[in-house]
Amino acid sequence: MIRRMSSRVPVYLFFILISAIVLFPVLISVFTAFKTGPELMKSSPLALPESWQFGNLITAFKTGNMLVGFRNTAVLVVVSVILNTVLGSMTSYILNRFDFRVKKLIMAMFMVAMVIPFYTTEVSRFQIIKSLGLYDTIFAPLLIYAGTDLLQIFIFLQFIEKISSQLDESAMIDGASYLTIYRKIIFPLLLPASATLAIIKAVDIMNDMYIPYLYMPSKELHTLSTALMTFVGQRSSDFGQLSAAIVIVLIPTIVIYLLLQKYIFAGIAEGAVKG
Amino acid sequence: MNYNLQKKLVIFGFLFIPVGLLMLFLLYPTLKLFQFSLTDWNGISESFSYVGLKNYVMAFRTEGVWDALSNNLLYFIMHLVFIPIEIMVAVLLNQKLRASHFFRSIVFMPYILNGVAVAYIFSYLYNPINGPLNALLGAAGLEGLIQSWLSDPNVVNYSLVAVSLWRFSGFHVILFLAGLQSVPQDLYEAATIDGANGWHKFRFITVPGIRRVIEIVLFLNVRGALQVFDIPFLMTQGGPGTSSSTFTVYTIQAAFKYNNYGLASSLAVMLMLMIIAFSMVQSKLLGGKGDE
Repeated sequence: MIRRMSSRVPVYLFFILISAIVLFPVLISVFTAFKTGPELMKSSPLALPESWQFGNLITAFKTGNMLVGFRNTAVLVVVSVILNTVLGSMTSYILNRFDFRVKKLIMAMFMVAMVIPFYTTEVSRFQIIKSLGLYDTIFAPLLIYAGTDLLQIFIFLQFIEKISSQLDESAMIDGASYLTIYRKIIFPLLLPASATLAIIKAVDIMNDMYIPYLYMPSKELHTLSTALMTFVGQRSSDFGQLSAAIVIVLIPTIVIYLLLQKYIFAGIAEGAVKG
Repeated sequence: MNYNLQKKLVIFGFLFIPVGLLMLFLLYPTLKLFQFSLTDWNGISESFSYVGLKNYVMAFRTEGVWDALSNNLLYFIMHLVFIPIEIMVAVLLNQKLRASHFFRSIVFMPYILNGVAVAYIFSYLYNPINGPLNALLGAAGLEGLIQSWLSDPNVVNYSLVAVSLWRFSGFHVILFLAGLQSVPQDLYEAATIDGANGWHKFRFITVPGIRRVIEIVLFLNVRGALQVFDIPFLMTQGGPGTSSSTFTVYTIQAAFKYNNYGLASSLAVMLMLMIIAFSMVQSKLLGGKGDE
């Protein structure tokens, strides 16, 4: 028994080392956020704050446009995740339950979309967004995020396959329309799969930087990411306030992570092993 | 309503918006890229003229493009080197370890954190004057290792690759862990009865069991390394010079900073072709080694 325990010691040390590497950058930023200007000048950056001062956090929150950032990020996440879930499940329902002429073509189009590079496509998408009059409105990122993709469709298709089509047929005998079948049978049974996908999508949107940066430059349309970029651009040498803004932006994702970890891991496992 | 008519209506009605969004915001812009890549358009003026393959020739001759691409290569290689370590961490996490859930949460955390915040955290960490990393090296008696992490052209790309490793390795670990957990336990028990040692079990049960996940991670690595953007864009803008630029940073700057949409579009087209080519080569290589 003791030999077993002692053989585990290197493993624990290894994980403690990993934890230190992961936590060091984050903790240093938290310490710095609570230090005053003079303290930053004289003390080691590795030291704990002498006393925990909230001044930087308050300044960063007020002048960093953080409230607007929270609001816009929340609106973007909620609306686009709902739209994305509805559109993705509708597409998968049609692709699984019906045969029609252009089905293969549509699948092929979603496949092509998989190899389109993330950022460089903005070079031409930018012109399209502009000509549609969507530039500098919240609709530009909303419509980009709302679209479904092959990975989401694949995961939904696996779940729909498990929903017996006898359920559809007996509903049809009762006179239900296809729309009713989707609303009352398919969509509710897809909800567990949707939940995990939605959380992953929400984290992606919350952490996205370039689409809001490019399409919503106005101050009142800043997200958490772009508000932080602007704030840092204005005061790149005041590390106390800079770290405070970073900490404020980190809080929402950390809270979500702590609350929803189980689903995030489940969602990733779903995509990796079965996808 | 009869089901035949209804079927047509529901197919059209349900697919109209998703397929419309796909075509409008992904496929059409891609076609446009092909078109722009053959022009001298500056992104602003009403008119442009076709210049044939001039932009492609120019891209091949521009040193900055090659510099950028070699920086992408370093991301690819370093993430590749980390794959065995990531698998090892996943194997250790998969054991019945006290606090393994806690360590799992820690390992995955960097991936969840806001990417902009992470980039700026490391900008601060690498700060040359009273920066935390140099202070840490000083405290550990390793003054010799102190660097100008972000301003020395020979060091900066390594500094940025380290941020990428910090941010994405945990994600790979969790993918491998998911793969490990799908390997049936009785295979290991049977192997133990047959007298297999730890290495044999790893080589003949674990590795084949997570083969699919390894393929996914390799595929993600190719796509990710070719498209690195956030970290250099936020931390160095590709500088000093082009010493930490990447293919995507170079493309975006060509378009939005220097208004050379023709060149930027040709770079974007080439990037897409590279993604397709490398993915195909990789699946060929992996497919050839398989048991099929």
